[in-house]
This record gives sequence, C-alpha cells and structure tokens, in this order.
Amino acid sequence: MTEAAALYQTSKVLVILDGIEEKLLCLLLVAMILLACLQIFLRTVYSSGLLWIDPVLRYLVLWSGLLGAVTATAQGKHIALDIFGDRIPARLEPWIALLTQLFSSLAAAGLAWAGWLFLAGEIEGGGDGPLALPLWFWNGIFPVAFSLIAGKSALLLLMQGKALVGRNETPGNKPQ
Amino acid sequence: MTTLKLLILTLALLRSPLFLVIGALALLSFYSAEIDISVVIIEMARLADSPLLVSLPLFIFVGILLSESKAPGRMLQFTRIFLGWLPGGLAVISLVVCAIFTAFTGASGITIFALGGLLLPALLEEGYQERFSMGLITSSGSLGLLFPPSLPLILFGVIAEARIDHLFLAGILPGTLMLLLLIGYAVIKSPVRLAKPAYSAKEILHGLRVIAWELPLPVILLGGIYGGLFVPGEAAAVTAFYVLAVELIVHRDIPLARLPAVMSKSMVLFGGILVIIATSMASTNYLIDQQVPVRLFEFIRGFIDNKYTFLLLLNIFLLIVGMMLDIFSALVLIVPIILPIAEGYGVEPIHLGIIFLTNLQIGYCTPPVGLNLFLASYRFERPIAELCYATLPFLGLLFLTLLVITYLPWLSMVLPRLLG
Repeated sequence: MTEAAALYQTSKVLVILDGIEEKLLCLLLVAMILLACLQIFLRTVYSSGLLWIDPVLRYLVLWSGLLGAVTATAQGKHIALDIFGDRIPARLEPWIALLTQLFSSLAAAGLAWAGWLFLAGEIEGGGDGPLALPLWFWNGIFPVAFSLIAGKSALLLLMQGKALVGRNETPGNKPQ
Repeated sequence: MTTLKLLILTLALLRSPLFLVIGALALLSFYSAEIDISVVIIEMARLADSPLLVSLPLFIFVGILLSESKAPGRMLQFTRIFLGWLPGGLAVISLVVCAIFTAFTGASGITIFALGGLLLPALLEEGYQERFSMGLITSSGSLGLLFPPSLPLILFGVIAEARIDHLFLAGILPGTLMLLLLIGYAVIKSPVRLAKPAYSAKEILHGLRVIAWELPLPVILLGGIYGGLFVPGEAAAVTAFYVLAVELIVHRDIPLARLPAVMSKSMVLFGGILVIIATSMASTNYLIDQQVPVRLFEFIRGFIDNKYTFLLLLNIFLLIVGMMLDIFSALVLIVPIILPIAEGYGVEPIHLGIIFLTNLQIGYCTPPVGLNLFLASYRFERPIAELCYATLPFLGLLFLTLLVITYLPWLSMVLPRLLG
C-alpha cells in the first residue's frame, strides 16, 4: 500500500465518503446487470424491448466508471507508470509524493473546471437524454466526479504535507 | 507552455496518475490552441455513444468474482482428471487452465496469484525442474490474452472501433498456436512418469460434478454471441449474472456480506481504466486535429515503403512499449496513433489488434516493468533476475508465435472471414 493510501484511512471524511461510494457502485453494477438481462429476456421472450434501456445502460457505465475513479483516488489505485520503482532515494520519496499529489489536485481541478464549463453549455443548449431527463443530468457526473477527485486529492495533499512537516520537526522519530 | 508540458511528462514518470497526466496535457493543448477547454469533456462524453463499453465493467466483475471464488481449484481438479493422461500431464494442464482463466480474468496478473500457488508445488512434486516450473507459471500468467472474452481484446475493440465479435474470432487461432507451441515444449521438458494417474469412476464423476456449473461458461458466452442471441455487451451481462448466481447461490464460495467489497473492487479497477480511456479521447482528438498521425505516416513513409518492414519496426516499437507501459495504458495511448498509420500500410485493424496484444503479452514477461515478473517474484519470493532467466525459453516461443502472427495475417483473419 502506498503511503497516501494508508494516510487516507486516518481521515474520517474520506472513510465515510468511501462507504457511500461503495454502496453507490454496487447499486450501479447491479442495475447494469439487471437492465441488460431484462432487455435480453424481453427480446427473446416477447420479441420486443424497452427503447430506453440501452442508452440508460451506456450512461450507467459512465457513472460507475467515474465514481469508481473517485474511489480509486483516495485508495491510491489509479494506473500510473512506475519506471523508477525503488530506485528513488528514500529521503526524496515523500517530497516527490507531495509534488505528484500537488499536480494531481491541480490537474483534477482543471478537469473539474472544464466539466462545469461543459455542463453550463449543456444546460443552455443541450437536448433531452434517455427517460426524458435532460442531457445535463446524465452528463453531470463529469464535473461532479472530477470535483470529488480534486477535493480528495487536495485533502490528501494537506494530510501528506502535515505528516511531512511533523516528521521534520521530530527528527528522532522515524515514521514506519 | 512546452516547459510546463515537459514538467508534466516528468511527473508522469514519478507515479502521477496517468489519466491526470493525459488530462492535463489535453487541457493545456486546447487552451494554448485557443479552443474552449470544455472540449475535453465534450470528447469524454462521446463515450456514452459506445455500446461496447458496458462489457468492460461486467467482464472485470466476472473476472474478480471468479478469482475470489474457489473456481480456480475446481478447474484444476477437473482438468487433472480429464487431461492427466496426456504426455506432459501437469505442465500441459497448467498451460490450458492458465490460458482459460486468464481469458476470463483479463490478464491483470490474477492468474499467477490464483493458480500459481496451486500449480507450483504440484509441478515440483511431480518432478518438474524448478526453473522450468517457475518459467511456465510466470509466462502463463498472461497466456490466454488472445482468447475471448479477454479485456485487452475488448479494449482494443473499443478504442479502434473494431467489431468485438470479429476480434474474438481473430484471436482464437493465434492463441491456439501459442498454446500448442508451449505445450510442445512442456511435453519435451516433462519428467518420465512411472505410472499414469488413474482415477476411479467415482472420482471422475465427482470431478465433473464440481465443475458442472462453470464448464458451460465459454459455451454460453461464445454460443450466445455467434448464435445471434445477444451482442457482446449483453453477453457480458449474462455471464455476470450467471457467475454471480453460481458462486453465490450454488457454490456459496463468496458470502453475501463480502459481495459489496468484491463489487466495489471491480468498479474501482474499471474506473481506473475508464478515466484513462476518457482523457485519451480528448488528447487523441487534439492529435488528430493537429494531423499528427497523418504527418507521422508521411514521415515514416519517407523511410519505409514496404508493409513488411513496417510490421517489423512496429513489433520492435511495441515490444519496447510493452516493456514500459502496462497493457491498458499502452492500448489507450498507442492504438489511436498507430491505427491510421498501419491502415496506411494496408494492415487490417483486426490483424493489428492481434499483433498489438501479442507484443504486449511478451511485455508482461520482460524487465523493467513486466507485471508477471513482479507478481511471480512477490508470490514465490524469488529475485526478478532469476524469474527472467526462467522465462527465457518460453519467451523464445512467444517470439516465434509473434513472427508467425505478424507475417501470416491469414491466421488471424480466416475465422472472422469465415464466420463473422
């Protein structure tokens, strides 16, 4: 487990968020399985189907994926290149982690910003999506997810920074 | 701006999440081209038009569910009874079981963890050399990548907008060739057996009974798709529903209380892949807008006018990519750029997909970032260098298959043409 991943469990906010996200993810997955199976059943048995199922399914995939990415953020489970492996000097490692966390927060904030701009456009000029719900409702997951990722990253950045400062103040106590 | 981009690329090498690196680069590129940055999200939202995408989360869930259940043990028991009489017995069994298991779990290294621990002691006990056994398990951790419904195949289909049912068919013969070559080697290397294992009728019946529920999986999946019952996306849902019922109700391998954890683990894995796909949609759009693939093609054509030379260089390039990147990032980043170039040289997208995945499969076993090497080293507590050495003969055979796959497009294309 990375240091950031261990750190997140010390934050009450992140642990509670994690619990909510887990329930939502399960719900989305079950909904995807059931809706797709229902569609096959209707088509095979009644040779008909519900028109709204396919588009709703496609949005559920986006929702579950983006929400999964939100959960992956605090757990340190995002796919990343690890070319240097253990060859980074141990002394530098926490600083590099802090730097990448800073970058992550900024980049996610940038994506969130683009997401809100996009949503504003959708509210103004977008049409209707499946189930007669407006498209901005279905696409709203983009800014929401990226904002959550940015928020989580910023929180982790703060926690990492604090841990690092604490460590430097008491040089005798080497953390595990 | 260029300095900023270089800084971000450096951060990418220092374990920054890849999707944020790609996302940040896309944002900066559009911004500096004075295009509204909301384009980045508009490109991502196009993913909602892809009917194939739904098969990714569902097959990931199937794979994780199967690997958390006791299905690997049951598969092994079944194959031992029914294939144990073959020359090369256990080694052959290991290869076959690993290939099938990897196809269903998506080559994320689960095979080495789920089956390696069962297979290695069994192989050693039957008198196989340690080096051979380690090499076999390490390299077979990604064997089966070309068989349906492997995730990398689906992902290639999503990115290249190629037909998944054709890709599924295209992988079967190349995958079988690879498997047969490895089986041949295993037969040569297997120790002389004093007596062939004999099983009583009761044992055979028991072996059949325990696997009876999981055995029809490939039939349901492939029969459903090619029998015209459902499209690949729906096949994933049926498989997920079936596996869920079997592991939860019939075998009760996974208690209901553990299910939410398994589900959210699958969705977190999917989320990690989806955001990379999403951000790369935006960056790819920028590159295509700037005509990068076209210009790259023009540039390369200045040196190479021959399809076969191009394929050779493509292989070398992809082998290096396979060494550096994990399979999902490699697919998402490289396919959109290579695809138009390869098409320029007359390489069919489906054939390209099989070449691509074979290269990346070899990358699983090569340093410095071969996932199989790391997992095996972790699982068996051996140094990476030793495992590298152990996998060499297997890698040789994989290279041989790669050459055949590359220069004999027929092998990949014949099934989709006949049945697709």
